[in-house]
Amino acid sequence: MSTLAFRMRARRRGGRTRPAWRQPLAVAGGVIAVAWLLVAIFAPFIAPYDPLAQTFVAAQSPSSAHLFGTDELGRDVLSRVIYGARVSVPIALLLVSLAALIGGLVGALAGYFRGIVDGLSMRVVDLFFAFPAIILAMVVAAVLGRGLRNAALAIVVVAWPAYARVVRGLVLSVGDTEYVESARLLGASARRTLFRDVLPNVAGPVFVLATLDLASAILLLAGLSFLGLGAQPPQAEWGSMVADGAQYFQWWWIGTFPGLAIFTAVLAFNFLGDSLRDFFDPQTSWGGDER
Amino acid sequence: MAALVLLAVGITLVVFVLTQLVPSNAVATNLGEQASADPAAVAAFKAHYGLDKPLPVRYWLYLQHLVQGDLGQSSLTHDAVTHDLGQFIPATAELALYSVVIAAFFGITFGVIAAMRRNRPTDHVLRVVSLGGISMPTFWIALVALYLGFFKLGWFPGADRLDPGVLPPPHKTGLYTIDALLAGQWALFGQALHHLVLPALVLAAFNVSLLTRYTRSAVLEVVGNDYVRAARAKGLPERVVVRRYILRAALPAVITVLGLVFANVLTGAVLVEKIFSWPGIGQYAYQAAVNLDVPAIAGVSLFVAVVYITVNFIVDILYGVIDPRIRVR
Amino acid sequence: MEVEGLRVRLPTPRGFATVVDGIDYDVEPAQVFGVAGESGSGKTMSMLALLGLLPAGAIVEGRAAFGGQDLLRLKGNDLRAVSGRDIGMVFQDPMTSLHPMLTIGQQLTEHMRRHLGLSRRAADDRAAELLDQVRIPGPRSALHAYPHQFSGGMRQRIAIAIALACGPRLLIADEPTTALDVTVQAGILRLLDRLRRERDLSVVLITHDLAVMSSIADRISIFYAGQVVESGRRDELLRHPRHPYTRALLDALPHPEAARDTPLVAIKGAPPSPQQIPDGCRYHPRCPYAIEICTTDDPPLVPVGGRRLACHVDPFRHE
Repeated sequence: MSTLAFRMRARRRGGRTRPAWRQPLAVAGGVIAVAWLLVAIFAPFIAPYDPLAQTFVAAQSPSSAHLFGTDELGRDVLSRVIYGARVSVPIALLLVSLAALIGGLVGALAGYFRGIVDGLSMRVVDLFFAFPAIILAMVVAAVLGRGLRNAALAIVVVAWPAYARVVRGLVLSVGDTEYVESARLLGASARRTLFRDVLPNVAGPVFVLATLDLASAILLLAGLSFLGLGAQPPQAEWGSMVADGAQYFQWWWIGTFPGLAIFTAVLAFNFLGDSLRDFFDPQTSWGGDER
Repeated sequence: MAALVLLAVGITLVVFVLTQLVPSNAVATNLGEQASADPAAVAAFKAHYGLDKPLPVRYWLYLQHLVQGDLGQSSLTHDAVTHDLGQFIPATAELALYSVVIAAFFGITFGVIAAMRRNRPTDHVLRVVSLGGISMPTFWIALVALYLGFFKLGWFPGADRLDPGVLPPPHKTGLYTIDALLAGQWALFGQALHHLVLPALVLAAFNVSLLTRYTRSAVLEVVGNDYVRAARAKGLPERVVVRRYILRAALPAVITVLGLVFANVLTGAVLVEKIFSWPGIGQYAYQAAVNLDVPAIAGVSLFVAVVYITVNFIVDILYGVIDPRIRVR
Repeated sequence: MEVEGLRVRLPTPRGFATVVDGIDYDVEPAQVFGVAGESGSGKTMSMLALLGLLPAGAIVEGRAAFGGQDLLRLKGNDLRAVSGRDIGMVFQDPMTSLHPMLTIGQQLTEHMRRHLGLSRRAADDRAAELLDQVRIPGPRSALHAYPHQFSGGMRQRIAIAIALACGPRLLIADEPTTALDVTVQAGILRLLDRLRRERDLSVVLITHDLAVMSSIADRISIFYAGQVVESGRRDELLRHPRHPYTRALLDALPHPEAARDTPLVAIKGAPPSPQQIPDGCRYHPRCPYAIEICTTDDPPLVPVGGRRLACHVDPFRHE
């Protein structure tokens, strides 16, 4: 049965596409993403100074001693940007995984069992979709209180419905195909068909969604922190650093560099996600062969 | 139809539950220090707002007030929430309108160009640029725009909808540009427009990129279809083929994205309004959330959700208008 | 129409692929000319080349004389005028060859009005008449209907009506019945035959299904890997095929009166992709009659006893 699943996947991939390592966008995205991951992991070794130390001359423009300058409280901006990676990237990864898991589970169950389970869960999903992301996130953050952990939770609440819908759609369309029908007729248990036939076809699009969602998650997290609802001072987080920069306009380096950090990290995941999407859907791809 | 009603009811429930969860002391915030100490006043307050009754009853009371158009009183402004909303909505509406129009125009155009020149240099450039556009944090673009446009170059004003001390045009719609035009106040129209430029462009930036990408996909899905080839075989000029055959077929998908764009505009408005000191719903929502102004939070959430559903509803209707296959019901 | 030396090359990431390699054929007036071959044999591409419908970057060589002009030398408005007015094309899948959001009337009249300069009313009248001729019931009201309201067979009839709208002298039908039920197929073929007689129309019928071909074609050309391997009159070709490929195609047709356990015959192997054309005769890797010369020399298409044949061996010449 699983060989059938594999063949269907391969057939759906359509024409030949260039292998992943020959797509410049995917490579660029991958390199940058890995770079930020490494920065996040090795921050204590890379950062020149303590991100929280207010020992330097305040508001210095970028110089050789302080590549990104210092902020209004005399902290080294470069170190803060480096440590900021420890906040944004891993948390975004975590919460996207969580959202994908929860949403995927709900969607899979809805698509597989259909009927009441499907109807109910999709009503709930619709409910969540009725609120734009930031409003919902703000309200949840307000309810739970400020802080990074609550902001992350708020984003999970906002993000999971998308996965539920996507997975449900996929499970429904795959479940309709004949080989799943025949598998069921042959007596395979529900769980077995779910894992061996349905899941491999679902994994791809979910992965694409997750990568792109990672980009949105980083943006949303930074946005919430920018508004003061996420990371609290004195923690070094990119969004709140940009908020600082907004206050001290004339010292442009305070806000610009964290913003650039957000930009490059988000860009990396968008590049990756876009290339991944081409891989699964060559018809609208930006570089592969057509038939 | 039934689904919509159910959704609306569901939203009121969610909003209500959220308000119950917000950890605030409604009594203290609304009555102030002295009155809170007076048990009679507190009792009266509680009785009025039904705070001493069980949850389902409170929900029912909430619904009753809702139907009468009473959204409660903001603990921050001490005005009726409906009044607050009436004040702040037009500002955001105006911003959203211009922003969406700009985004739609450029986004769809670029998307079509990219699709028709698939895999040529133009296409690749547009791909990278649009990916960049959706990667930039809105608040950062806003800051950069403000810094360059206002601080360094001084070409644009940095805050609010009009210059300080200037009176808005007579209120017809609440949209200053339209009201000024209706009243024939050209200078005021120009000024309002001038103030709109930066925030509208910033809000549009993300959405232009989004629209470029989705329009491109939509057009590419259509371009391979036989009917496009058939149209060319019939000897119709390319102009007509693109307009009547390709664009019309891609329209449903594009409209879907416009719904998404709208949601993004609301999301982005919160950030942009803060940076440009724009007195709109975004600011109101932010203040409400930060200060735990329960009625205001509830009111804004409800309003936003309703608007969103309405937009989706309109999108669904538009589908039916454009694509006869969907009109069956 | 006379086609001479038609060669089509398409750009691929790995250089150009020759999908049509030196084709010649003639289509007589009021005749059904059948083009048969497997997918990838170049039969569709050769037709698209005539109408300028190839993908961008394609290179076309050769000559296609039609109505005193060379189709392959025409560009822009000139080509559009001929391809829209004097040649009609019917595509394979009626589900996708009509625009889902335009009315039948619009799709029937838009090129009519453009090429023939008709007023809206005149065009509508003519359109209704066409629908009647292709046996669509209620032609007047059908003008305001949409494609999804019709069945596959009826949509194909509408597509034929659209192709005939400007009164062309040549109709190209690319697999017109492949996407339809067998019962509906017969109706469409009868329709094509009737129209041919009534309008003195030339029809080029492209299909891989020899059974379809046998019912209405007058002359047939067999395509393989971008070349013509055999061509001649229908009866002769189908009763006494001389090229091994033609023979194999005919053998592969399931015979309704064969014994129950007669095995289904399939041709071993697959047609070569345009990037991997074998040396010599293109069919030789799959041909049970191949000899030494078949692997080195490409057999030319030569007239042989009333037909044209491209084969070194000609194993059935004595039948």
